[in-house]
Amino acid sequence: MCLSKQTMNAGLVKKVETLSGTSVRRCFQCGKCSAGCPMSGFMEHPPNRVVRLLQLGQGERILAGRSIWYCASCETCSTRCPNKVNLAAIMDALRKLSWDTDGPSKESYVQLANRLFIENIRTYGRQYELRLGAAFNMKSGQFLKDLMLGPKLLSRGKLKMFHSKNKNLRDIEAIFSRIEEMRKKGEAL
Amino acid sequence: MTATKKQLTYSFYPGCSLHASGREYDISTRAVFKALNVGLKDVPDWFCCGATPAHNVDELLSLSLCAKNLSLAEAVEGDLAVACAACFSRLKTTQHHLKGDDNKRKQVEIAIAGPAPLGKPVKHILEILARDFGLAHLEEHVKKPLMGLKVACYYGCLLTRPPEVPDLDDCEDPSIMEDLLRAVGAEPVNWSHRMECCGANFTLSRPGVVLKLSGAILESARLAGADCIMVACPLCHGNLDIRQESIEEKSQTDYDTPIFYITQLVALALGVSGSKLGFESVIVDPRPLLVNKQLL
Repeated sequence: MCLSKQTMNAGLVKKVETLSGTSVRRCFQCGKCSAGCPMSGFMEHPPNRVVRLLQLGQGERILAGRSIWYCASCETCSTRCPNKVNLAAIMDALRKLSWDTDGPSKESYVQLANRLFIENIRTYGRQYELRLGAAFNMKSGQFLKDLMLGPKLLSRGKLKMFHSKNKNLRDIEAIFSRIEEMRKKGEAL
Repeated sequence: MTATKKQLTYSFYPGCSLHASGREYDISTRAVFKALNVGLKDVPDWFCCGATPAHNVDELLSLSLCAKNLSLAEAVEGDLAVACAACFSRLKTTQHHLKGDDNKRKQVEIAIAGPAPLGKPVKHILEILARDFGLAHLEEHVKKPLMGLKVACYYGCLLTRPPEVPDLDDCEDPSIMEDLLRAVGAEPVNWSHRMECCGANFTLSRPGVVLKLSGAILESARLAGADCIMVACPLCHGNLDIRQESIEEKSQTDYDTPIFYITQLVALALGVSGSKLGFESVIVDPRPLLVNKQLL
């Protein structure tokens, strides 16, 4: 493939750089990020290649894969980068772009877990772990996942059957709706 | 020595895990503060910090949730004490980002409909015990030194990374956990996986990841001759404790390695009764080890 204005998506790179506050051009491909990444074995594009693809304007190839959803946010890459490329923030930015467009990711379980976790905040204020696990099993179709763990954790008090909602739930809901409003008006990314 | 020392008191952000899956962290944190006569008062109506899922897909939401919690914390006197490494990291990251970025701060202030207070120091209980209270002072309060207990101190990711945010200790070679343990008489071991990721929240979506990563941590601790692992994060605890049986099945190795929270071990050394530290709540029962070491 030839690199040209037609084959490079500079707009996407710019969005990633704005959201992450970091420049992909600073990377000289030393590969320290991938060497220290505990998750690179699960990714089709290890971290240094994610940055290289961005440098070459090939962001869609990253978004189409599962690499960004297999980043554990352990921050080892950002910690060790000799050029201060904040790769963990780049991963957050790429995930957000994929999330916003409901992009063609190959990794739906991680997205589902994230969605349920965030929904839990809006519905309850604090995490209701039993509901999180049960909803994940129902929605991912893995009805028997960790089935034996549930009673063990319940009997030890590590899972609560019932969970009361926060008293200030209205304030929490207002945060979500104000952010949605800002985005509708184009005042925030 | 302490006659002139001001009475320490803190506001407390427990975080969601401490109210359920990490309940023994909550119980033992309160027990340690009580034993040391340090004040600890919950932030009223605190809610989820958003943890990793929120910042993974929506930074503005993550910053806003934390900023609102920081604003609730203003109502309680004292620096903000946090036990969970993830909550600690998110709250400190929020302060760091909003101090350095006016545009983000303005957006967050619209989202929470008020100012984002960034001045209250957010402190992990490790630094409260080791620095504010002080190791020498802590040593004076030890009633039952944890003699002969070999402990693998596990830092995980968020206590020290990225270096510019937590400001807790060296990001590659910290020693605050080991120093704390020595002060209460235990023996920290040298091992390779102190700073490696446990698989974090993949425990829900992709448990296979956790079996691999946490399996390597358990194996490394075993090779170093550790009796147990000490953690500062409820998610790390869950991955190493709750998933240990599956890891053993997969690797055909018996680890039987109890996982302790920092505060459980410190409380034990301070003379708090072992029956009050939630040892019955965990999956890998630590009591046989403690009996064997004559600590229970």
